Amino acid sequence: MAKDDPTPNETIVVIDDDYAMRLSCRKILEKSGFQVETFEDGVQGLEGVARLKPGLVVVDLKMPGMSGLEVIARVHSIDPNIILVVITGYATIDTAVEAMKSGAYDFLPKPFAPDELRLIVNRGLERRRLVLEGHRFEVERALLKRRFVTFVSHQLQTPLVAVHQYLDVLKRLGDHPDVTVKREEWINRCLHRIEAMQVMVKEWLELSAVESEALTRSRDEVNLRAVIDDIFSAYQPQAETEQVALESDLPEGTCAVAGDRHCVAVLFDNLVANAIKYNRAGGKVTVAAEVRNGEVTVSVADTGIGIPEKYIPFLFDEFFRVKDEAARKTSGSGLGLAICRRIVAEMGGSIVVESKVNAGSVFRVSLPAWRQKESNAA
Amino acid sequence: MAVIPKVLIVDDDRDFRASVKALLESRGYRVLEAESGHDGLQKVVEDPPDVILLDIMMESSFEGYGITHSLRFRDEYAAYRGIPIIMISSLEKSPDDTFTMSPEVEMIRPDAYLTKPLDIDKFLKLMRDITSSAHV
Repeated sequence: MAKDDPTPNETIVVIDDDYAMRLSCRKILEKSGFQVETFEDGVQGLEGVARLKPGLVVVDLKMPGMSGLEVIARVHSIDPNIILVVITGYATIDTAVEAMKSGAYDFLPKPFAPDELRLIVNRGLERRRLVLEGHRFEVERALLKRRFVTFVSHQLQTPLVAVHQYLDVLKRLGDHPDVTVKREEWINRCLHRIEAMQVMVKEWLELSAVESEALTRSRDEVNLRAVIDDIFSAYQPQAETEQVALESDLPEGTCAVAGDRHCVAVLFDNLVANAIKYNRAGGKVTVAAEVRNGEVTVSVADTGIGIPEKYIPFLFDEFFRVKDEAARKTSGSGLGLAICRRIVAEMGGSIVVESKVNAGSVFRVSLPAWRQKESNAA
Repeated sequence: MAVIPKVLIVDDDRDFRASVKALLESRGYRVLEAESGHDGLQKVVEDPPDVILLDIMMESSFEGYGITHSLRFRDEYAAYRGIPIIMISSLEKSPDDTFTMSPEVEMIRPDAYLTKPLDIDKFLKLMRDITSSAHV
């Protein structure tokens, strides 16, 4: 089974009000051996979809009449396994998020090259095939890996370029009057970028360690009070600087989960660090826990800037960072919550978030409570 | 040179903008900054520059291509069509190399393509060439 070959006779429907776009999509896709049918608006397009039962639909997001988002919803009510690729005129995180939320597989910003369209279409159809074969999980993993590599190289390259450029210009303009003023500021920026990169590399390694499962297999008794106390004392100076109060409300008696102490510490360290970072002066961070039915639920609540609802589905993805003004002022690798999700999943727990913009966020982690007999089970 | 050339840097990395800005200012250019593609398009309209330095991967992976296309082909930017665009990216390949043989590459082809970090001599020479020809 040659995976790179397009599925023979697979039908693709293109819905776009722009004649030139319909023509070029048809040309590009027919060249790859697909059957292509084009429609100039949503209504005709949907009739076509119902009649032709295509594997994939390419739809323009902005059209007169029925919008692309509506088309996506209706195509999926005809057949939820049809892959939707959205074309957007000016791609921003907002349009992408909106399209993905309504069920699109991927989006393609205009203008695009034939290879980009072919790549997305082939990937989309490959995913459809595997979904239909029930291998959805493997596909997700493979796609995630590919995206991860692209992001990592960009995330590592950007700070290196910034530092390199500062040093190169400093060397060049060494005795220029303007630069002597900036020298100190630039050196500080270089140090800052390098430190941020070190944090990212450290977190990346943590993520790989969690992924390899070696760290998360142990099921020891981990006392939450000790973990939280350690974290609070480590973050006390930073919390004081930012005028954020740290409070804990753990139940009387022992409160322990079954897991690896280091992983549990990394998990709550990330959550508390975020709760301080995205807080405001005069705000507070509250860590509370309750034990019920063999499960410990720990909540980490802040009184900070909150997370807009549209970003919530992407919050635990690798390298996802909220791009609002308020969040832009803080730095981060975009890996912290991805690590949390992995750790929680490996421990057999769950993590959810509730948030209100300008009011704060609550992250709730449920983990298996520690029981005496489990000490033998590892 | 009678007129001081005005350069707009569109890049989401403030440190990259800061060093390039200082470099260009030391050579007598006036430098404007934009931190996203959207911001960049706005700045072009508000205060049209003589040259645009444009990053590719910003909020979306190919944002720089979208900006180039908008400036070259969209009606609302018709007045700015002639402003030279220098794409600067850490991607090794220019659009022409990335999308070989595809006619659509015309739509996103910049006037010049440089990789990050900049080769300072090459960059300054290119800036001199582009601004002097733009002012003749």
